[in-house]
Formats: sequence, C-alpha cells, structure tokens
Amino acid sequence: MRDGLGEGLALLALLAAGAMQLAHADDWPQWRGPDRNGISKESGWLDHWPDEGPKITWKATVGLGFSSFVTKADRVYTMGHGQDVDTVFCLDTGSGKEIWKHSYPAELGDKYFPGGTTGSPTLDGNRLYTLSRWGDLFCFEAANGKILWSKNIQKETGIRIPDWGFTGAPFVYKNLLVLNIGDAGMGVDKNTGNVVWKSANKNAGYSTPLPFSQGTEPLVVIGSGQSYVAVNPENGKEAWRVRWMTEYGVNGADPLISGEKILISTGYGKGAGLFELAQNPPKEIWKSKVLRTQLSPGVIKDGFVYGMDGDTDDDGPLKCIELQTGKERWSEPKMGTGGLLIADGKFIVLSSHGELSVAPVSPDAFKPTARAQVLGGKCWTAPVLSNGRVYCRNSRGDIACVDLRGGK
Amino acid sequence: MERNINRRKFLRTTAVAAASTFAAAPFVRAEESNHTYRTALIGSGWWGKNILKEAMGSKRCKIVALADVDSNVLEIAADQVNDLNGDSPKKYGDFRELLAKERPEIVIIATPDHWHALITIQALKAGAHVFVEKPTGHSVNESRAMLKTAREAGPVVQVGLHRRIGPHHVSAMKFLKSGQVGDVGMVRLFAYSGGGKEKPTPNEDAPDGMNWEMWCGPSPLRPFNKKLHPGGWRNFLDYGNGTLGDWGVHWLDQVLWWTEEKYPRRVFCSGGRSVRGEPVNDSRGQTSDAPDHQVATYEFENFTCVWEHRQFAENGPEKHSIGACFYGTNGTLHIGWRDGWTFYPTHRGQTIHEDSQLQEPDGHNLKLLWTDFLKAIDRREPPVSGIEIGHRASVLPLLGMISWRTGRSIEWNGAKEEIVNDPEAAKLLSANFRAPWVYPAA
Repeated sequence: MRDGLGEGLALLALLAAGAMQLAHADDWPQWRGPDRNGISKESGWLDHWPDEGPKITWKATVGLGFSSFVTKADRVYTMGHGQDVDTVFCLDTGSGKEIWKHSYPAELGDKYFPGGTTGSPTLDGNRLYTLSRWGDLFCFEAANGKILWSKNIQKETGIRIPDWGFTGAPFVYKNLLVLNIGDAGMGVDKNTGNVVWKSANKNAGYSTPLPFSQGTEPLVVIGSGQSYVAVNPENGKEAWRVRWMTEYGVNGADPLISGEKILISTGYGKGAGLFELAQNPPKEIWKSKVLRTQLSPGVIKDGFVYGMDGDTDDDGPLKCIELQTGKERWSEPKMGTGGLLIADGKFIVLSSHGELSVAPVSPDAFKPTARAQVLGGKCWTAPVLSNGRVYCRNSRGDIACVDLRGGK
Repeated sequence: MERNINRRKFLRTTAVAAASTFAAAPFVRAEESNHTYRTALIGSGWWGKNILKEAMGSKRCKIVALADVDSNVLEIAADQVNDLNGDSPKKYGDFRELLAKERPEIVIIATPDHWHALITIQALKAGAHVFVEKPTGHSVNESRAMLKTAREAGPVVQVGLHRRIGPHHVSAMKFLKSGQVGDVGMVRLFAYSGGGKEKPTPNEDAPDGMNWEMWCGPSPLRPFNKKLHPGGWRNFLDYGNGTLGDWGVHWLDQVLWWTEEKYPRRVFCSGGRSVRGEPVNDSRGQTSDAPDHQVATYEFENFTCVWEHRQFAENGPEKHSIGACFYGTNGTLHIGWRDGWTFYPTHRGQTIHEDSQLQEPDGHNLKLLWTDFLKAIDRREPPVSGIEIGHRASVLPLLGMISWRTGRSIEWNGAKEEIVNDPEAAKLLSANFRAPWVYPAA
C-alpha cells in the first residue's frame, strides 16, 4: 500500500515539475549523478537570479558530516551525525519535511576535521544503501525506511578501517554492492549482504568505485591506500594498479574517465596524472601539480577538466585545464574545497564558503551569470541538481534547497 | 610541533612568510656564506616536512637524505623534495645508517619526543648541526644529556621554539620589557580546546612498510593504534607529555624569555581525565592517557606563573583561547597565536594591538628560525633558541608532569637541576629505556 502511495506521490511530483517548465528533469540516484561523472542532463533551470538571490524553498538540519544527496522523484536522502549516532534521512523534496529517518550508534570520528558522516547513500530501484565510516552497512526500503538487512561489515570481516573511516558510497553492479573496503574493494550480495568477494586486508582509500570498461571486461577503479586499482566488479579480480602515494593515504577523489583516458588527482600537494587506458597497466601521459584534488572530484567536459585545486586550508581556486596536456586555461581564486556539477552547458558551483554560482562552461573564462550566498560554514560537499532543485549542505549539516525551476 | 587546538593542520605548500622586520637581517647579508649544507631529515612526517621546506627555501641546503620508520612516509617525502627543489635524497629506515653513510652537516630531528635525545646526541657526535623539535627531551635527564653533548661537541643546536623569533612575539616582548605593563605579579598561560569522552580505538597491525618496533624505540612497545600515529602520540605519555609538553613549552619559554629568573623554585600541578575518562590500554584497544585538563603553578622568586589547559568546553567566556597573559600594575598583556598580541590597560585607555605575522596554513615562523639557525652556523654564534634556552624551557613542563604524577609539589634546585628532598619524584627525572636502547648519561 505504502509503495503504491509513494509512487503516486512521485508521479504527482513529476507532473508538478513539468508544470514548472523544466525542459528536462532527472533523478540523482547515486554519488556524482546518473552517469557518475558530475554531469546532469537537466535543462531549463534558472541561470539568472534576482538581486535577492534564488528562492531557497526550505532549509533543514541533518547533523555533522559531508554526505551528499541522492534523489528519486519527490524524495531526497542524506546522512548526518549527532549525539553519538549517525542518522539516515529521507526528506520530502518540496518541503524538506522528514519522511523517515534511521539512527544507529556511531562515533563522531573528528580526527583533524569536524567529523561526522563522510559517505553518501546510493539508490537502486526501491532500495537505499548506506555504508558508515565504521562499517555499518544498511539496505533500506527507500519508501519507508524499513531495514531489509543490515550488518557491520568491518566487524564481520575484521578488515582494516582507514584513518578517516570508509567513505566511498556503495556502487551497485548487477546483484552486487561494490564497496571501497580493503586493498581493492569488496563485493557484497545486495539482496542478502553476504560477502561474495574481498581483497587483501590493507587500508582502503576514500573514493567511490567508478565503473568503466577496458576491452570487453567490465571494471571498476577504486582509490586504495597506496594506489588506484581496477578490478572486475563481479569477482574482484585485479586488472591493473597504478601506484599513487598521497599523504596519509588519502586517495580520496574518484578518477575522471574520458574515452580511453583516466585522470587521477589527489591533494596534499600531490597533483594529477593522466594515463592511457588502452594499455595495461595504464601508461602515463603526463603528471603535474596543476590540479590537486583533495575532496570533491572535478568534471570533464569536451576535453577540459574543471576542478577544485588545493586542500581544505588553502582556499584554492577552481581551475580549467586541458585534459590532453595538463595545461592550465584559467583559475578562479578562493573557491576552496567546494564542489561543482555541469548541467545544460553550465556550471553549478558551491564554494567551500557557501557561495553558489552559475556560469557557462567555457575553457576561456569563468563568468558567472548568477551568484548567491546560500549557506555559511564549511561546504565541502558538491551540490546536487535534481528536478530543478539544487541541494547544498555544510559540515554542520545545514541544508539549503535552492529552487531553480523556471516557473513563475 | 604542537598539534592543533581547533583546526586541522596538514602539510601543504606553505605560504610565503610575511615580511619580517628581523633586525639582524642586513648583517646576515653582509657576511653571507655561500656554503651549501648537506642536510638530512629524521622523522619525515607533517612537521618535519614543514621544517624541511624552510631548509629548501633557504637555497643553502642540499637535501641528501631522509629517514623514517614508515617507508610510505619516506616515499612521499622524497617525492616532495624532488618536486620542490630537484634533490633526490636517499631514503633510510634507520637514522643510524643515515648518519654513518651520509655524514650530513645539518640534521633536522622531527620525530616524536621520546626519540629526540638519542638521535640528537648521535647526530652531534657525528659532527652535524642539529635542528631539533621542542620539547628537547621526553624526560629531564634526557634533555640534560643533550645539553652536555652539545656543549662538548660544538656544533650549533637550534630548538624549534619558533615563538622566540615570531614577529608579534618579538614586539610583544619589547613592549613588555619596556615597562609599559607595569610591575608584573602574575602570568597565566593557557590552551583551551574542545573534546569529550574518549572511547578506545581498536588495536591493529601496523600498516605495510612501517617498522612499528622502531617507532616505539626506547619507549614501551604498545600495539599499533591509529590513535597513536600519525600525530596522536602527543597525548600518550609513553611518547609525549600531553598538552603541557606540546603547547606548554612554548608559553613557558615566553616567561623565561621575559624574566631574569632562570627557573622556578617550586612547581605544583594537578589535573586529570575527568571528561575523557580512565585511560585504556589492553589487548583490544587504547585511549590516550594524557590529562584532559591540568593546572600547574610555577613559583618564581618575584611572581607566580600558572599553566592551565582543558580539552573540553570550547567557546568559553575567555577572550582568547591560547597564549600568555602578563598581569601588571598598568594592565594585562596577552600574547597569543593567530590573534597577535593585545594590551588591555587597567584604566580607561585604548587597547593596543598588533597582528600576528605567521606562515600558514600551520601558523608558525619557521622561516625566520631557519634563517637564524644558518646565521648561527655561519658565524659560530648562539642561535635564538639554542640548546641552553630549549633545555631550560623544556624542563618546566617535564617538572609539571612529575608533580602531576606524584600528586605533590616539587621543590626545584635549578642551579643543580635537582628535586629537593623527594627521592621518589627525583627518580622521575629519568626514565627506563627499552633494550637495546640505553638511557643517555647527563
């Protein structure tokens, strides 16, 4: 009954969105969006805002952390921490009203940063999956929060927790969840939680498994403690490994893949490297300090890479570099470790200071057509665009839902 | 090497230091030597690399070798050196091998505290000039042994008390010594941060490539724990001396810089872990064991100095969360960190303030301290925070810790560096070293 009602509401929401004149609307079911590349297909949203700024439809507070958002129809999901528990939230996209939530005991884990939840949920059909920094793995019924199964995968396997805990979002591949746990990931049956394959008991990195294919073989690339490693998601078989040493083992950002090229970029002064995927192991094309991605991965568009350069204390720039050469095209200062997405040929950028801006994507310059302060505090989580709404959060867990639907 | 009080501090490219008004700079130029020093770093983590960057920035140092017990840390540090100045330092897991094979002219020592003395002494005996982090020793007699060796050996030792040369500290001290604060009867030193109850972190195997046995070295061999490394050892008394050892040494040194007295006559310290809870160290896991709050009273001949730290109740009513307050008949001088210094006059008058001029992101003045170190080597004259100064400053937090451990006040004969009439407390001036390491003779 409840499912039926949920879908009915979803349909109404879609109709409403249509009435608000979005040319194309989309759900955002997983980290980095439908295609896992930070690019949304949505168009028709407002790229010019009135002087008083865009409409902030609602605000909510979900607790400490950096977890991003996933959406489906009229539901948005995220996580936060407070009072010794992590909480998974399902909110109404129109009002921010809580639909359901689930809390479980968890440590704050504020080692050299504010602490709280760092990973993001993943939607798959009518299910929602979450993984905590300490290994709590949940499969929820997305509509009502009913727990279909749950376990602490770290306690079950005894696997090492990297210094800041497990952070990559679960990646759904056929009947498996691929998790960034262990040296080269772990495969878990998404219907039961049973471990199907695992890797050596060494520190994981912090990225989310990113799918691609090399020849005919399906692969995911995973940031591990000392390398980026590609494995077959079905059985965990390792295809290649690029040694990539980042301070404190923080191989955090997802690599960016474009055609036969893979760009790896990490922070702490490490920099970026472009590799040719047609060869195994991938062959280095260039390496440079031009882009040092500590947290949120950049976006590749038409042969150019757009991403945040520097660490949380640096207040670094948003940069445009040529993918093929690593040459810098432009640098927009003081964006910090915020994040961005691209939709309809435009950037939506949230600076680490909470300023949201829209600008046409161009390798020549960053020229915003709209700019507004939507949050304070530390905004280290990339914004999410779904059905004309932009979801932004800061480390305290304040959420601003910015309504960019084109209706009057 | 203080670990951050309220913000995370990781290594990254340091900002260019604010222009310095360091008065001696013109003389340095006039007598500048062209010699390039063969330089090595022992302890290649966060703070060690901060110092190393100043060595590279000086253009007077060729980085010939790095040592660390973690091969991952070594690899990253060597890559960074190569990126920054083109040197290809050799990598060593054992500092003894480095000293024997490389014969460096300058050795930077940025290990945890429990290793400072042994490595400093060996480096000096190998003929190297030494830049060693504060506090000098992990126990008083280790520091005395460092002092003795330095006096005998001759090379220059600089202790990483960068607050001896930081521009706002220099100008605050000038203001204080000018008499504008009036007669100072009391000094209060403090460091406040946030925190709560501590739960044990599970023990685990040391990461691949790490020689954990060597990391523990002369101190007790604990199971590897993320809480300890990287960075967390400051709050484990086997390897550090808590906030008093980490931060207290800087502010106590400011007091010694100001006063003409060389040492306190009596020290009393109390504190505990009321909020963090009882320390845990069992087969499953560990918590830290340093006190979460401490009050230490240092009785000098002409004034009283109080240290106070707490790691809970952040954002209290205090105007400043860290620093030193000198209370005088004309007002209060606060010397702080990022907040510079401020004088609050007793009567209705304007407050006087000067901003800090720090290198970010970690808020230090290592560039000035390194420049001073090279100047001292070039001219064979004492550096601004040499071993005598570093030793005297480091003894004070260590005495506070002895009083805290014994639960009674310590009478201190500073001329002889002896605890008076308390053999049990006096034993704590030394420590038991784990074999095969031998406690250095003072």
